[in-house]
Amino acid sequence: MQYEAPQTLDAAVALLADARGAARVLAGGTDLLVQLRSGAIEPDLVVDIKRIDELKKITAEDGGYRIGAAVSGAELGEHEGVRALWPGVVEATELIGSTQVQGRATMAGNLCNASPAADSVPAMVAADATARIVGPDGVRDTSVRDVATGPGQTSLGRGEIVVSIFLPARPARSGDAYLRFIPRTEMDIAVVGAAVSVSLDDEGTCVAARVSLGAVAARVLLVDEGARVLIGTKLDDDALQALAAAASAACSPINDKRGTIEFRTDVAGVLARRAAQTAFERAKG
Amino acid sequence: MPGLTNSPGAAIDVARKQGNTRPGMEKFGIGQAVRRREDERFLTGAGRYIDDQHFANLTHGAVVRSPHAHARIVSIDTGEAEAAPGVVAVITPDVYFAQGFGPIPAMTAIDGIVEGTLNHPPRHALADATVRYVGEPVVFVVAETKFKALAAAELVTVGYEELPAVVDLAHTLDADSPMIWPEAGSNLAFRFEKGDAAGVEAAFEGAAHRVTLDLVNNRIAPMAIEPRGVVGEYDAESGTLTLNVSGQAVHAQRNQMAAAVFKVEPDSMRVVAGDVGGGFGAKNFVYPENILVMLAAKLTGRPVKWISERSEAFLSEVHARDHVTRAELAVDAEGRFLALSVDTIANMGSCLSTMGPVVPTAASWVSMGGTYVVPNIHMSVRAAYTNTMPVDAYRGAGRPEAAYIMERLVDAAAFDLGIDPVEIRRRNFVRDYPYSMPLGLTIDCGDFSGTFEAAAEAIGLDGFDGRRAASEARGRARGIGLSSYLEVTLGMPSEAMELRFESDDTVTILAGTHSTGQGHETAYAQIVHETLGVPFDRIGFRQGDTAAIAVGGGHGGSRSLKIGGSTLLRSAQSVREKGRAAAVHILDAAADDIEFADGLFAVRGTNRRIGLFELERAVREAGDLPETVAPTLTTVGRFERERHSFPNGCHIAEVDVDPETGDVDLLAYVIADDFGRIVNPLIAAGQARGGAVQGIGQALLEGVVYEPGSGQLFTGSLMDYALPRADTVPDLPVGFNEAAPTDTNPLGVKGAGEAGATGAPAAIVNAVLDALKPHGVRHLDMPLTPEKVWRALLQG
Ligand SMILES: Cc1cc2nc3c(=O)[nH]c(=O)nc-3n(C[C@H](O)[C@H](O)[C@H](O)COP(=O)(O)OP(=O)(O)OC[C@H]3O[C@@H](n4cnc5c(N)ncnc54)[C@H](O)[C@@H]3O)c2cc1C
Repeated sequence: MQYEAPQTLDAAVALLADARGAARVLAGGTDLLVQLRSGAIEPDLVVDIKRIDELKKITAEDGGYRIGAAVSGAELGEHEGVRALWPGVVEATELIGSTQVQGRATMAGNLCNASPAADSVPAMVAADATARIVGPDGVRDTSVRDVATGPGQTSLGRGEIVVSIFLPARPARSGDAYLRFIPRTEMDIAVVGAAVSVSLDDEGTCVAARVSLGAVAARVLLVDEGARVLIGTKLDDDALQALAAAASAACSPINDKRGTIEFRTDVAGVLARRAAQTAFERAKG
Repeated sequence: MPGLTNSPGAAIDVARKQGNTRPGMEKFGIGQAVRRREDERFLTGAGRYIDDQHFANLTHGAVVRSPHAHARIVSIDTGEAEAAPGVVAVITPDVYFAQGFGPIPAMTAIDGIVEGTLNHPPRHALADATVRYVGEPVVFVVAETKFKALAAAELVTVGYEELPAVVDLAHTLDADSPMIWPEAGSNLAFRFEKGDAAGVEAAFEGAAHRVTLDLVNNRIAPMAIEPRGVVGEYDAESGTLTLNVSGQAVHAQRNQMAAAVFKVEPDSMRVVAGDVGGGFGAKNFVYPENILVMLAAKLTGRPVKWISERSEAFLSEVHARDHVTRAELAVDAEGRFLALSVDTIANMGSCLSTMGPVVPTAASWVSMGGTYVVPNIHMSVRAAYTNTMPVDAYRGAGRPEAAYIMERLVDAAAFDLGIDPVEIRRRNFVRDYPYSMPLGLTIDCGDFSGTFEAAAEAIGLDGFDGRRAASEARGRARGIGLSSYLEVTLGMPSEAMELRFESDDTVTILAGTHSTGQGHETAYAQIVHETLGVPFDRIGFRQGDTAAIAVGGGHGGSRSLKIGGSTLLRSAQSVREKGRAAAVHILDAAADDIEFADGLFAVRGTNRRIGLFELERAVREAGDLPETVAPTLTTVGRFERERHSFPNGCHIAEVDVDPETGDVDLLAYVIADDFGRIVNPLIAAGQARGGAVQGIGQALLEGVVYEPGSGQLFTGSLMDYALPRADTVPDLPVGFNEAAPTDTNPLGVKGAGEAGATGAPAAIVNAVLDALKPHGVRHLDMPLTPEKVWRALLQG
């Protein structure tokens, strides 16, 4: 296995595009190294992107933030601006692993690992975030929803690297939140994850919403019906009940050791409702 | 903790207050909260565990394990493996069985096993034609490096013909169940009976109430932080086999392997352990790998190492508990207990492990009935085989099962009769000591109700209703769970402890007991310091080497302080007496004029004095000593248990349940223990807490699961097998009730090592069920995972 740590994006893309055999990007390595050690993957080339300066930055852009693909969860958590604008995305990213894991794990890595249970992804989907991708054919932007196509599968082409995640600007009186359910108190894979983002008008009525669920289908879900039942309400009990029902209805989970279909489906509704309440409180300020 | 001699989190302060006031003695004597001196080594990475030790010319072993729960081996092809780079030896069943070794022994001489029911098939280090659980060793590969050994192991091709498997304990004894040892005609390992069946039946007939509870004591995996590991060595010149092991009973291991497996004299075998990172009983036993590394060392002429991977531990280290029980309690109209009937199926796994048969029988009946007056008890056990890893002793071994049965049954009785769980306990506690239990033992002393009330006060039982209402207001269901447990100190009944005076003015404790992290180096030194006044830094400690220590009872049954500590006290006392006789001679004084304090013998009213070490040198160098004076102070003391002692206590847990997700939040937990006299409150509280966390893990998170039908192990890693972590538990305040000292041993201690794991499971389950009571839920089996609780609420 060949290991490379180029200092420029061009060099990284060239290495990946020219690679013979299997090649992998290495960000924090908190998924990749585990997979390597267990023999689940055997790449011929590993390209470490942590030496590329432009991937290590968080920059303000058009009222939102562009987060480099090599920014760790810990660094993101210390950024006042992102915390204030997208607290739900930050709390989701900070849930990943433990203190040690936080020092390395990236949002882009969480996204590209393409686990349906990835914690930061529902929050990014609720935030309508965009991934910027650079490859042999140049630069393209795509919705984060379209990066993972199934468990462990992505839409990235040969030689393509996610270079940043863009979290857009949002109106005043907006808030988001992420909740996950795990059988332990920390350090576990989500049985269900739920993210909700809302914007309110001056009266406190919901004018825009996005609801996203993790670990209840082969990909992270965007639940349009969940958003629809919130819009035009002040998140009263009926609206929250309707949200829970919509969230449960959207689920198509599997039975596995971590949870049954019935449990996941029911808890998805509970979590969506609770995340919406928190997002609503945050939006009211 | 109110009413107790030691309080939560403040063990140090309280101990100091009670402490010894002699100058220079207040810090290290008996009863002091001395910080564990071994911890500096452990915490700075200076411990020497098996994998830290260096062996010249070392090779590495890997085990080819059965992927099937039950299958006939039809072919084994090792050609490719033998040709693989770096391979030194491949040990197949053919090679193994050509050695003429005997089977791995297991203890079956148990009073109460029904005659003619025992089926004890031979178990060998490698499978003999049939594999009977996933993970059973089939071939052992030795290579220059661990990775080469693992790679070569993958090249071994074993052809199997699969057989139907059974992993479901409740049904393994059914007539149509697949047979694991067909020669015997059933999967029964043995039947065990204890107590007066007719008397119990009569009591039930006359009783106002019959409370019946079906419960499962879930199968768990020990998972010490240091996995098992062994290095085998062979010295061709002397013919000595050496096993370096992360273990906890070196003498027993040596004796069992020498006599039963290798069929050699014990002297030609050495078993030695360095620092051991936890064992909880599971490292006591003779494992296949222990035998294989020694055989491989003999065949290759080189040391052979095998260290368990974490995931391999799930497949190759004994599991624990795993009982299915129907328990019944006869109760009179006033809520008083009349009789207890216990009918258990105990899982042995695919064959008998070293102490496996003892756990549900001899180690369990001793505490059956718990801290209550139960005039009649009958117990019946069917030990059964399944296609699973063998089951053996783990922290508490048998007594946690007994405590769980009783404490759950008492709550079920309270539920059925509509009596408060606190009240029904108060009505039934043993209050008069000594108390003769119906199954034969006599509890010499205790203060069960006092300990219970202290715990109740510590958690604030009186304010619980208010806290419950507050939880309800937040949409949560709150519950409180009581567990008044009884423990019995078991293990090897005798010990020899040497105090050896060294030439550098130090004294070494040579212990036949075994500490795997429970603090013997410190607690034992406190006993020596208290008795002989030797400064702490002059007291050395050695354990775990059959070549250096003649006999030893090792680890198990919370025995070390009671048996080992008492023996050591005896040793220290006889050193003092020997020293006194020597001082009479050396200081040329009358015996009555010699006084001893702070390590010095002095002639009363003079400035003539001599220290212990000076005295040792003097007698050693003296040419002609009178018969009354020994030529050294070095002494081997002995002590043998005549009566059992009964650690006991009360755990109380308070939980919040999230009714929408079934999530259980452990909010508060208190422990009040009666361990007799406390030698070191820090260590004793640490033992209570560590054990409690293991019990909490069993109750909320842990469970070994095999897939029905295929017999595959579902929980094969720490990803799928959830251990408790620091944030699973709140603070665990511990208080000690020292009001009922025991005279069963000279130290006055009752034992502390297993109590935590004994008391905790029922406290948690009772608390969760208390929270679910308004929903009509009477019983749930451990572990109480969110989904299980959620489902109960859905149905309730
Ligand atoms: C102990 C532990 C606990 C964990 N807990 C959680 C948890 O609670 N929640 C959770 O969601 N995850 C958890 N994880 C998984 C992991 O930490 C996260 O998925 C993390 O975000 C991965 O980021 P990384 O930077 O380490 O990715 P890496 O491991 O470096 O990469 C992950 C995958 O994405 C690819 N990749 C990475 N960056 C890019 C890029 N810029 N462009 C293209 N492809 C890329 C890699 O090739 C690889 O296939 C845990 C892992 C561990 C070891």
